[in-house]
Formats: sequence, structure tokens, C-alpha cells
Amino acid sequence: MGDDMKNEATGEKQRKVGVYICYCGGNISDHVYVEKVRESVEKMPLVSVARTNMFMCSDPGQEMIMEDLKSGAVDRVVVASCAPSLHQTTFRNAVKRAGFNPYIYEHANIREHVSWVHNGDSATEKAARLVSAAVAKANLLEPLEPIRVDAIAHAAVIGGGMAGMKAATDLADKGVKVTIIEKSPFLGGNVAKLDRLAPSNTKAADLLTSLATNVLANPLITVHSCSTVQSYEGYVGNFKLGIKKCPPDTGTDKDGCSRNVTSGMKTGAYIPFAGVLPDAPPSSEENITIDAGVIILATGFKPYTPRNGEYGYSDYPEVITLPELIQLMATGKNSGDRLVVNGREIRSMAMIHCVGSRHIPGIHTEDEAGNLNEYCSRTCCAATLNAANNIKEAHPGTSIYEFYRDIRTYGRGQEELYSRASKNKVVFIRFEADAGPEVTSKEAPGDYPLLVRAKDTLTFGEEVAVPVDLVVLATGMEPAAISDLVTMMKLPVGADRFLQEVHPKLRPVELPKAGIYLAGTCQAPMDTGEVSNAAGAAAAKAASLLGKGHVDLDPFVASVDADKCKGTGECVKACLVEGALGMADYETEDGEKKQIARVEPAMCTGCGACVAVCPDNAIDISGWTLEQYEAMVDWIVADIK
Amino acid sequence: MLLVKPDFAEELAAHGSDTAMECFNCGTCAAICPLIYEHFPRRMLRYIQLGAKEKILEEPAELWRCLHCGLCTQTCPRGADPGEVILGLKRYVTANWRKS
Repeated sequence: MGDDMKNEATGEKQRKVGVYICYCGGNISDHVYVEKVRESVEKMPLVSVARTNMFMCSDPGQEMIMEDLKSGAVDRVVVASCAPSLHQTTFRNAVKRAGFNPYIYEHANIREHVSWVHNGDSATEKAARLVSAAVAKANLLEPLEPIRVDAIAHAAVIGGGMAGMKAATDLADKGVKVTIIEKSPFLGGNVAKLDRLAPSNTKAADLLTSLATNVLANPLITVHSCSTVQSYEGYVGNFKLGIKKCPPDTGTDKDGCSRNVTSGMKTGAYIPFAGVLPDAPPSSEENITIDAGVIILATGFKPYTPRNGEYGYSDYPEVITLPELIQLMATGKNSGDRLVVNGREIRSMAMIHCVGSRHIPGIHTEDEAGNLNEYCSRTCCAATLNAANNIKEAHPGTSIYEFYRDIRTYGRGQEELYSRASKNKVVFIRFEADAGPEVTSKEAPGDYPLLVRAKDTLTFGEEVAVPVDLVVLATGMEPAAISDLVTMMKLPVGADRFLQEVHPKLRPVELPKAGIYLAGTCQAPMDTGEVSNAAGAAAAKAASLLGKGHVDLDPFVASVDADKCKGTGECVKACLVEGALGMADYETEDGEKKQIARVEPAMCTGCGACVAVCPDNAIDISGWTLEQYEAMVDWIVADIK
Repeated sequence: MLLVKPDFAEELAAHGSDTAMECFNCGTCAAICPLIYEHFPRRMLRYIQLGAKEKILEEPAELWRCLHCGLCTQTCPRGADPGEVILGLKRYVTANWRKS
């Protein structure tokens, strides 16, 4: 790195800043007079070189920068081009390849912030101001080192359903030790409550048996059933989870998962409509601490429970949900011409779609907590059609009427289910959201217990009435009851109340907090194939992070000037991240003992809240210091020509 | 109110047409029909799906306006064969006209 040069007049350090301005092939130069910007910044005393290029990110552009660094012509670099999210890393790497610290680099965005939003002379002027501000900052940049933290080669997976088991086996295949934390006594989650899965008609039991067998046979995987997360602390590479293992309650929990363990249940075997028992449930309470480098959230969903009176649910025993029907059919098989449910022959049945999904404000009513489920649950159309086909193909004498708003058979093999349903003579009746079907026992003809009425848009808005023996509600998915985890781990939650990823397209299984990943329906409604995709992606992300044994974090975090710090503790009070900033003993060179602020770099997010409150200017953000900001502001408001 | 009768499609099969249940109500047949408006022939297929035989018997004249040009059958994306279904309905109406 070049030697510090002192300005003879002021005695201040003088850097040699190189400025590289990009045309972006017209994207910038169509509205910004690039050569004028170059001429303007070239006049700044700090600037030793100012160059332009049609595409600065091209190899010749990058080499130009590297040559100037190597020849000693510059020791600080400013590139003025597109948004830093696109090419900042490109240019930092070029600086690094030239043998310099990548943090002597500053970026000016003159495309998104200038040429794409302004034109005329003012565009050129704004570009010049932004570039000169970047030069002023670059002059004050110091080399920084990334924060390196060791990563514990162990993954904690919260949830032992499809997603959790799939993520755990994928990680173990990569040689990573995994601990699954499952709140119920069983592995298998909500999938264990199903029979045949759409669209392939695969048996849920087969999927779960094969996954659970792999999980239980793998020495790298530990399963804690009947366990909940009680405490959480740490940061990427070094998380600590406090787990409480309790003897199970009996009955069904708030997410509808079975907790009944009977003495006849065999460990490792699949128990229909419960799951796989990994081991005997604990007989006494036990507290465990788990250290993990990464955490995968696989907390699943909660099946929607229809409200009292919703489409006659809980008013009439003949109204049941689709999961209830699936269980009744699996446990009470019969081979007659007509389906038999609870001992009753079903001559005709209605299946109502979108129950608990696709709510519209002003049409549907909120639950007690004021929530509407405005999203589509995505799995119910295919599940309903699959059930209808299975019924019609085994019991052609049962007539099926599907009341729907839209059929959303979006995935491979799903549209075929719809075509098959038509072949199987299933009748579709389409209702509008504000005129949903009405289920009533009044006016039901003959000995039919119920009549389902709806304005059918396929019959030109006429009211259609179907006498039925059974009504099945295609219930959707709701976010699982994990508010304790959300609060404890400060997890981001979307407007739909499911956990929210950093970016829906580019970073779909990551959370803003490094080292925590999303797998499966804790994020959004998904079918089992999609769950495996998501869990596999989360496992791959986690394995690649753990594979290096350490994590390099950006160095843009708070740092304390021990000489200036008087230990007022104002910064600790202002800090937004628990554990990022605290007070510690400090001994000066003269042997004086005092309390000063101490930063935990891996926890600090670099927000700057501490900098704003320090009365002694003793704390600063590396790479974004107050001094650097002041220099930038000076140049933004300076008279430039 | 239109009370659905599940068995009508089977009753109609005896008159030579059993493809109406294949229809997914896209309306292509009604759009292509050169002679008759008012959602014909889809409306007739829909009545069959719901078993609304009284609706068919109420307005049989429309059935006889169909000249069996075959355009609906040619363009049907589901193979529901509307032309043949209309022919079957003509037989059904002939057999059941003013019976009650």
C-alpha cells in the first residue's frame, strides 16, 4: 500500500484518489455528460487520476484500475457507475487482486440515482457532486479486515416434519452434525395426518417412513422429541439454544398435532395419523443446551379450523373438513358402489374450496385477532381433486359437486387431476367470493340431511341447489402458533403472518439474520415437493456456510476509541441489538482502570444509533465514520463548476 | 332455484350421448355457433351436468334450430362433442315431450 503523503500546507494525510467513471454503454452517458464530470472532479486536489470507460466493469476497465494501483498512481479508488448492489463487489475484488485492501474502495451510484431519474445539465451536476463526495470519503478510508468468526459445525433444525427431516438428512449427507428439535412426540408433522398426496397419489406413510428411517439411522442426527426452544442467543456460527424436554400432554395440541403416545406404539415404526415415534417420550422434565453454527426453521403450518357455523361446520355433523374426510376414509375402508362415511352411505356430496383462504377484506370477517387469510393455500385444489378422483374411481355411485371460486392446479401433474375429475363426472359449480355457498338442513328434499345452495356463474348466475349427504370443506393453511419463537429470535413476519425471507426471488430461504434459514411451510403454503425443494435449499445454504469452518462478516461495525470513551453508557442504552454493545473493564497504558463500551462485532449491525448519542464522539462505524460523512456533506454542498 | 338431479346424465346416455360431463364450460362452442346466441349450445350441456331436465324441456325449440354444422364439436377443447349432445337431447325431448 502506498505511503501516507502529508499535505505540506495543512499537515493532513494526503491520499492519491483514482476516479473511474463509467458510461454504462449509454445508460449513464445518454443523460450525464461523463467527460464533464471527469473534468470537474479532476480539479479536486485529492484526485490524482480521473478516467472514463464505456464499461468500467469490463475486463479492460477493471485492469485500468488495477494498473493504476500497482504503478502507485493511486492508493484510494472511487468508481462512479451503477448501484453498489450490482458491482461494488466486482470492484472491491479488482482492488484486492491488485494487492490492496478491498476497503480502500468507494462507490458512487450515478445510474440509478442520476441518469435513470434525471436529465439535462442538472443530471451532470448531480453526478459531479456525488462523485466528489465519494472522493472526499475515499480520502479518509482506512484498510479494514472482515470480521472472522468461527462456525460450530453443528446445525439445529426446529421442527421434525417433512421440511425438518429433509433438511436434516441433506445436511448429514454433507457430514454435518444435526439436532432436530420437535415439540410433539412424533416425527412427521402435518403430513402424518394425510393418506394419499396429490398429485402423484404417493402414500404419505411411505414418504415419512423413508425419511424418518434415514433420520433415525444416521449417527450424525440427534432427535429431541417433546422439546421446545426456551432460549436463544448468539450470532451466525455461534448460536446457543436452550431446550426444554417435557413428558407429553395427552390430546391434540394447538396446531392439531397428536400428542397421544400409547404403550403399544413401537419406536421407529410409522403410526397412521400420528407419525414416527423416534424414541419413548421422556418421563421427567429435562433442560438441554445446544450450540449450533446455523439454525433451520422448519416449524410448519397450522391447518385452518372452520369457525363455528362456517358452511354449517359444527352446526351439522355431516359437515367435515378435508383432512377429517381423508382420515375417515383411510380408517373405514369399504368397497361398495357408494362411499360410506361414519356408517352412512353417501349418495351425493359437496366439496367447498377456498375455506380459510383467499379472504377478501369487506367480504369475509376477521378472526378474533383481526386477521384475514388473504393468500391462496395452494395445496387444497389439488388435494380436493385428488380425493374426489379417489372417491369416484372406487365408488362411482357417489355424486360429487365441487363448489369453487377458481381451480388452481398450478404444478406438474395437477391439471391432469382436474381433467380426470371431469372424466369421473365430478360436477363443478363456480361461486363468487361475495356469494358463497349456503349449507342448510331446511328444504333438503327427501331424506337428504343437507342442501347446498349457491349462485352458479357457470349457469348464468342462477341459484343451484344440491341435496347432499356430506359436505367437505377444503381447509387451507395458517401460520403455525410460533409467536414465542418470533419474539425470542426477532424473526421477520410478512403481512400474511408467515415467516418472511430476505428476497422472494434471489434469497428465498434466507433471513436477514445470517445463519438462520427457512424450510417449508413456516414460510408460505407449499406442497410436499415444494417443501423438499425449500428444505434442500436451506440445507445447501447451511452446509456451504459451515463448510468453511468460519464466517467472514462485513467490517462495517461500531468501534470504540478507548482513549476518548468516558464510560457514560449512553451507547449501550441506544443500541438496538441485544448483546452487540456492553460495558467492560479497561486499563489504559498509564495503568488507570476504567469502564468503557465494548462492541461484539459479530452482533453489531452497523446501524450507527450509538454514534448519534455518544457525548464524546468516542464510538464510530468503521468504513462509515462521522468524519467521512462530514467530508461527503462538505463536497455535496460545495460550489463546483 | 334449480334443484340438481345427479342421475340425469345417465338417463340421457340411453339416448346416445354421454360426453356432456367432459365440458368445462369454457364457452368456445357458444362463441363459434353461427346460428343461435344465448350461450347455446353450452347452456344445454350445463343443464345436463346439473340434471336440470325441466329447463331443457321448457325450451326445446332451440334444439331444432341447430343445423349440426359441427363447428362446436370441431372446436371443443375437451372432446365434449356438443353437436352429438344436442342430437341426443333431441331424441330425449322427442321421447319425453309432454309426458307429465
